[in-house]
Amino acid sequence: MARVPIVRVGATLIATVQDELCDSDVMLLQEELSATLERTGVHAVLLDLTTVQTVDSFLGRLLNDVAAEMRLLGAQTVIVGIQPAVAITLVELGLNLKGVTTALDVDKGMRLLQHSLRVYDLGRM
Amino acid sequence: MVAEFTNSQGELRGMIEEQRRTIVELQTPVIQVWDSILALPVVGSLDTARAQDMTEALLEKIVQTGSEIVLVDITGVPVVDTAVAKHLLDTVYAARLLGAEVLIVGVTSRVAMTLVHLGLDLGSVTTRTTLAKGLQFAFARLGIEVLPRSNGTSPHALNKLTT
Amino acid sequence: MTWAECSPAVTAASAPEEQLEISGEADIVAARQHAREAARALGFGAVDQSRITTAVSELTRNVVRYADGGRGRVSIRQLSGPRGVGLEVIVSDTGPGIADVEEAMRAGFTSGSGLGLGLPGTRRLMDEMDIDSAVGRGTTIRICKWRR
Repeated sequence: MARVPIVRVGATLIATVQDELCDSDVMLLQEELSATLERTGVHAVLLDLTTVQTVDSFLGRLLNDVAAEMRLLGAQTVIVGIQPAVAITLVELGLNLKGVTTALDVDKGMRLLQHSLRVYDLGRM
Repeated sequence: MVAEFTNSQGELRGMIEEQRRTIVELQTPVIQVWDSILALPVVGSLDTARAQDMTEALLEKIVQTGSEIVLVDITGVPVVDTAVAKHLLDTVYAARLLGAEVLIVGVTSRVAMTLVHLGLDLGSVTTRTTLAKGLQFAFARLGIEVLPRSNGTSPHALNKLTT
Repeated sequence: MTWAECSPAVTAASAPEEQLEISGEADIVAARQHAREAARALGFGAVDQSRITTAVSELTRNVVRYADGGRGRVSIRQLSGPRGVGLEVIVSDTGPGIADVEEAMRAGFTSGSGLGLGLPGTRRLMDEMDIDSAVGRGTTIRICKWRR
């Protein structure tokens, strides 16, 4: 049983998703993200898929669900590190994660979030 | 003797695979035209195998260069039908998953009419008629401006300038 | 629906075969790993490895979700024939069976509600797919991919 580490960096939660997670670990991740978000009140979640070699329909749909859930909880989600082989497979499966914001890597993902967080803050003033 | 044979078979296979990759790279050159901007001229018909190779080559280049905008130029594609449109969309979606935005350029009025006639709405995909226009869009998106030099160098003097 | 004839393949006697028992969720990951290793050993590229692994994951998950006690079997086999070298995976169970295979092949993720069986997606990833299933008889799905 592997647990996905969730780390808080400033106003962002970073979850580094490991390769070969079983279904329960995937669902556990979803629960932990929601719980942590509620508890800490952060506005951004970054899911790092750099080491994930297979994304099937179960994980694919979960990523969509997590993004939607986070949005309802007032947070933005960015998914980074999707491998080329995974990207091509996902699209062929018919899951192109339309509702999800993506970036190439953690660095770009963080910059993307910081940019929108600034916009969010301006909106609140 | 058998071991030698299987070894050289393996080598041969590796060589063939390497040559295949070279052919793919030559057929679908992905060019970095600017920081963060890639151009992919497609010449000839786009069948499934070619589209898959093209997408693979493009994604690898996106990873290598960290580019965020891709200009796929279909000026050289003779027929744009439902299948070709689907291949282009698949490429767009895959590149998006890597954080890159894909523009389809070289869309002529004939192609536009065909797509509309086929009931194909490229939806959220940005298109432009020329690569140059696509580049303009890309610069604007990246917050880049191209300005003439302030020292007023005359265009006629260009061929006298040394690099 | 009965077996359709696919490309001729070398008989099982000369092709090494791997058999995996499926009895729970952890076996989905195991099946994926075995399929990936088999694909890699056959010289499939990274993208094809991903396609094969994902297809195996979809089919194995169906077994865990819908078959009796989530039990079934996965067999992985190398093929060689006129089309060259390929990988064949057969996923079978003695579950309830698919009532309408054609409908299952039509329904996709984009059709909205419900999880579905992910069969159209799996078909798109592979070169060949055959489904032998009927209510009360269980399901056997054969998929195969040829190395380019």
